Amino acid sequence: MISFEHVGKRYGAGPPAVGDLSFEVSDGEICVLVGPSGCGKTTSLKMINRLVEPTSGTIRIDGRDTATVDVDVLRRGIGYVIQQIGLFPHLTVAENVATVPRLLHWDRRRARARVDELLELVELPAAEFAQRLPGELSGGQQQRVGVARALGADPPILLMDEPFGAVDPISRERLQDELRRLQGVVRKTIVFVTHDIDEAIKLGDRIVLLNVGGVLAQHAAPADLLAHPASPFVESFLGGSRMVRRLGLVQLRGLALTADGGVSPTVAVDIGATLREALDAVLRAPDGRAAVTDAGRMVGVLDTEAIRRAAQ
Amino acid sequence: MSTLRYIADNWDTLGPEVRNQLVIVGICMGVSAAVGLALGVAAARSDRVAAVAIAITSTILTIPSFALFGLFTIWLGLGSAPVIAGLILYALLPIVRNTRTGIRAVRPAVIEAARGMGMSPLQVLLRVEIPLAVPVILAGLRQATVMVVAIATVGATVGADDLGRPILAAVGRSTGSYERLLSGVLPVAAIGILADLILAGAERALSRGRITTAAL
Ligand SMILES: Nc1ncnc2c1ncn2[C@@H]1O[C@H](COP(=O)(O)OP(=O)(O)OP(=O)(O)O)[C@@H](O)[C@H]1O
Ligand SMILES: [Mg+2]
Repeated sequence: MISFEHVGKRYGAGPPAVGDLSFEVSDGEICVLVGPSGCGKTTSLKMINRLVEPTSGTIRIDGRDTATVDVDVLRRGIGYVIQQIGLFPHLTVAENVATVPRLLHWDRRRARARVDELLELVELPAAEFAQRLPGELSGGQQQRVGVARALGADPPILLMDEPFGAVDPISRERLQDELRRLQGVVRKTIVFVTHDIDEAIKLGDRIVLLNVGGVLAQHAAPADLLAHPASPFVESFLGGSRMVRRLGLVQLRGLALTADGGVSPTVAVDIGATLREALDAVLRAPDGRAAVTDAGRMVGVLDTEAIRRAAQ
Repeated sequence: MSTLRYIADNWDTLGPEVRNQLVIVGICMGVSAAVGLALGVAAARSDRVAAVAIAITSTILTIPSFALFGLFTIWLGLGSAPVIAGLILYALLPIVRNTRTGIRAVRPAVIEAARGMGMSPLQVLLRVEIPLAVPVILAGLRQATVMVVAIATVGATVGADDLGRPILAAVGRSTGSYERLLSGVLPVAAIGILADLILAGAERALSRGRITTAAL
């Protein structure tokens, strides 16, 4: 667990870049820091691995004040991915990925096995990519190597600063999906910075929304954020169609479903779907009703009214 | 042809002179590479160090070599020693300048990633900055070597027994001086060209993925 306790950062004599920030990131969750440009997202992130030292307050990892840990030891236990990637251009993909294992003096065989495993994980087969230089990869592939390198020594924590900010929208979407899939496998505690609220909603288990000056505007799960913005600032930052976007976040599986006893609907939707997909089914159905099925068996029926109630 | 003949006939004196020339240049480049690299790293870290180091090393280059070698004879006596000392100073500027330029050209994101992964500042220098700057540093070494090979001949005026000897001996004589002059000049040129080729080859061989002078 990562906890910010009244953390502040002031560069020189100017106004604070981060005010008095307190929040916690639970183990195994993706916490997304989001907010307008210059609100202190990068500063907050870099205070975790002490690339930036806080001027006030304490950051703890599993209860331990990070200021008391040797800074290089601290960083070797925290993966770090940045938008500009920063791969070592003179080293092969394999050597890049093995950076932290080498710093930790892993033996050659163990490091090699780890590299192969990680390249497999980010879908860059070692046979084809291990011996290439970063300059011989596409932007998206470089970013995958960046992620693999950050996971090098299997750190429990991963810090990512706008990692997909510089790739085209299609690759970006793919990388986001991949990160979700990857997180299902590796279960890291991830702090992810973006200025894109849709990316935050898509990736975050929890969202920390910051306002200029590093002030915490709201800390909530994406669905709660959309349903209950805490202030006009949050509401305007979230943008329009909040409730419709929220439908995409609510799974049918968590709802109390009832069958209405009428004739069986002609359109069906699986229980693994979201309210958004259910609404689409309802709108498609000639009688405005869709069956919810679990392994082919009908477990409930939804219509617009039921969806409206569920969306509240 | 007659020059080659002259060289062959006088090899028992020219041979040791070639050897001395190589020893002088070798020691000089070894020392100035080490000192220049250290100064270059310091200059890459601090603009103030850079300004001072570049000002001093470029000023040194304006001192006539004869005067600089002469100055060192006061402490080191006649022979190769004052020549080596003077040449070390001459060689510094291109090495310091290129080391600084090469290290400065490393992208900040690469350094940040390295620090972020837990490399100490020394590890960043040795594993990232210097390896990336190697082609640029080699280009500086190459410039310095070619320059030093030529200037070393002036060392004959303060008693260095190198290839400046035949050149010096030929200057001002009316007869038979042509072959003698060339018997010093040709080996100097050969050493210079050879050193240039070897270092340029190394520079090219190491340029893959690294910072090159062409990219600066
Ligand atoms: N090294 C620095 N020196 C001085 N001021 C800085 C420094 N780094 C950041 N700042 C200032 O601190 C504030 C927060 O910067 P930060 O980089 O954390 O913002 P951000 O939320 O990441 O913005 P963006 O979305 O544009 O990346 C900004 O006003 C910025 O100008
Ligand atoms: Mg930022």
